[in-house]
Amino acid sequence: SLPPVLRFPCAVHQLLDPGRFSHLGTQAPQCPVAHLDNQVPTERTRAISRTLENDPAKHGEQHVGQHYNISIQELKTVFPHGLPPRFVMQVKTFNEACLMVRKPALELLHYLKNTNFAHPAVRYVLYGEKGTGKTLSLCHIIHFCAKQDWLILHIPDAHLWVKNCRDLLQSTYNKQRFDQPLEASIWLKNFKTANERFLSQIKVQDKYVWNKRESTEKGSPLAEVVEQGIMRVRNATDAVGIVLKELKRQSSLGVFRLLVAVDGVNALWGRTTLKREDKSPITPEELALIYNLRKMVKNDWQGGAIVLTVSQTGSLFKPRKAYLPQELLGKEGFDTLDPFIPILVSNYNPKEFEGCIQYYLENNWLQHEKAHTEEGKKELLFLSNRNPGLLERLCAYL
Amino acid sequence: MAAPTAKVSRGWSGLALGVRIAVLRLPGLTQVRWSRYGPEYQDPQIDKEYYRKPLAQLTEEETYERELRKTQVIKAAPATKTSSVFEDPVISKFTNMMMKGGNKILARSLMTQTLEAVKRKQFEKYHAASAEEQATVERNPYTIFHQALKNCEPVIGLVPILKGGHFYQVPVPLAERRRRFLAMKWMITECREKKPRRMLMPEKLSQELLEAFCNRGPVIKRKHDMHKMAEANRALAHYRWW
Repeated sequence: SLPPVLRFPCAVHQLLDPGRFSHLGTQAPQCPVAHLDNQVPTERTRAISRTLENDPAKHGEQHVGQHYNISIQELKTVFPHGLPPRFVMQVKTFNEACLMVRKPALELLHYLKNTNFAHPAVRYVLYGEKGTGKTLSLCHIIHFCAKQDWLILHIPDAHLWVKNCRDLLQSTYNKQRFDQPLEASIWLKNFKTANERFLSQIKVQDKYVWNKRESTEKGSPLAEVVEQGIMRVRNATDAVGIVLKELKRQSSLGVFRLLVAVDGVNALWGRTTLKREDKSPITPEELALIYNLRKMVKNDWQGGAIVLTVSQTGSLFKPRKAYLPQELLGKEGFDTLDPFIPILVSNYNPKEFEGCIQYYLENNWLQHEKAHTEEGKKELLFLSNRNPGLLERLCAYL
Repeated sequence: MAAPTAKVSRGWSGLALGVRIAVLRLPGLTQVRWSRYGPEYQDPQIDKEYYRKPLAQLTEEETYERELRKTQVIKAAPATKTSSVFEDPVISKFTNMMMKGGNKILARSLMTQTLEAVKRKQFEKYHAASAEEQATVERNPYTIFHQALKNCEPVIGLVPILKGGHFYQVPVPLAERRRRFLAMKWMITECREKKPRRMLMPEKLSQELLEAFCNRGPVIKRKHDMHKMAEANRALAHYRWW
């Protein structure tokens, strides 16, 4: 039974030594073949689909295709928002949150581990076709940065800020721009949950006057600004603007490291579906949230990194098949973001596909009798074309 | 529906082979469903395993059958019958019955969302149950679907029979396909009419399927009502002549 050993050398290594990880290359380990024969099949499948290494910092090439576990407590603090809705449903059904380790995320992790914080922030853009796993790769990166104690500035979906806004107020700060109190206050609440410990440490460097009776003094903690934004919903957008400005200013000082993660960044430079009272359309720069976010995404600050995703799902007035950054960002967006590092997120390779199927089988998610057979797996491969999103939707009803 | 062909009488010799002539089966009843295929057309063999058998392993009958099929005319396979391993005729029939206006895409998506909803609800129940009860919780949405429909099938039905100028509801044994049809029809009507305004079909259907699986719920009640009516009218059973 040499073939199994050659096919999954890393998996067997996992089985023997879950704690240690060495770079294996292409040589087969010197493990007794008889040992593998005595293993229960479930152990082997668990070795293919899961890894015991739950710290993203230690993920390497050998973990590609394996799922690692995030505890539910950590999930609530690190991801109050930002997980795709179907993933949230899966977490609720399985009672556990497992994320697959994939090549694009590993590449980004490598770059982030070797960032020079004295240089201006580098922009990384994750792009790919629909359902390939851009948002979940972004979540992997965010989990890594949260574990490394960075400050996470995560905008879960920029498209939500440019469409379906019920209440648009004229901004108090600048008459030309518009406020979005609801979206801003929701985002502030989630930002507070994710970064509690930093909010008391960072001090504001300017005095901000909210109205005749309320103002924030210079030197008070950022938590006060966030509280003000949550309590007075009318000032929420301005509070967001202040938070962004202060974080950008102070990350260059080196007190903390800032990660700016925006999902669907092509919303910042597209069109909106929002209209003024006289039915004339609003451009994105007239929205205060978008205007401030654009300043954040410029690479004129140091001490962190900017990780972005471009997606067609949720985008406005873009063709369905468009997935390249040039097509989705448009000329203006591309010129603003240029130079950036593009990272392609593609469909599963055969190993990752196998790992995904094994993960579903372990959790008894594939209940159809035929899904356990080789025929069923071949059919799933054919129907989904190894696209992660499609595979998930297929396995949901099988 | 395999209706008998009419004997080709003198006047009809100009028709092409295989085209069925309209024929009246019973006096007073018009045939509403017929196929354009003649009786010589064979049904297509969709099963992949049939073709994968190596020729050496076939018995004499099977080789004879294969050679025979090479000479016969075969009907075109319908677009809805696939050679997929996951295909289920009951699910296909139910989807067709749910379909409105030919919108199969919507009907199929509702069906898949229902199966997913059933699965997720059962998984929640499984995780909430204790170790002994976990063995009893059924998580396969297909077994639940089949069992629920089987539980909803009535054993005996009522048929209006005209006697002496009045229509009497006479209890009558139902054919297998009539029972399956009634179970599916009742399920769909129940979910369409009795659901709250903002509830979507998959949610309501999954609820009803789970209740029918446990032999509770309005569809089972309707089956029991049908049985009670048949029991009440059993004196009229003599009006049946078949």
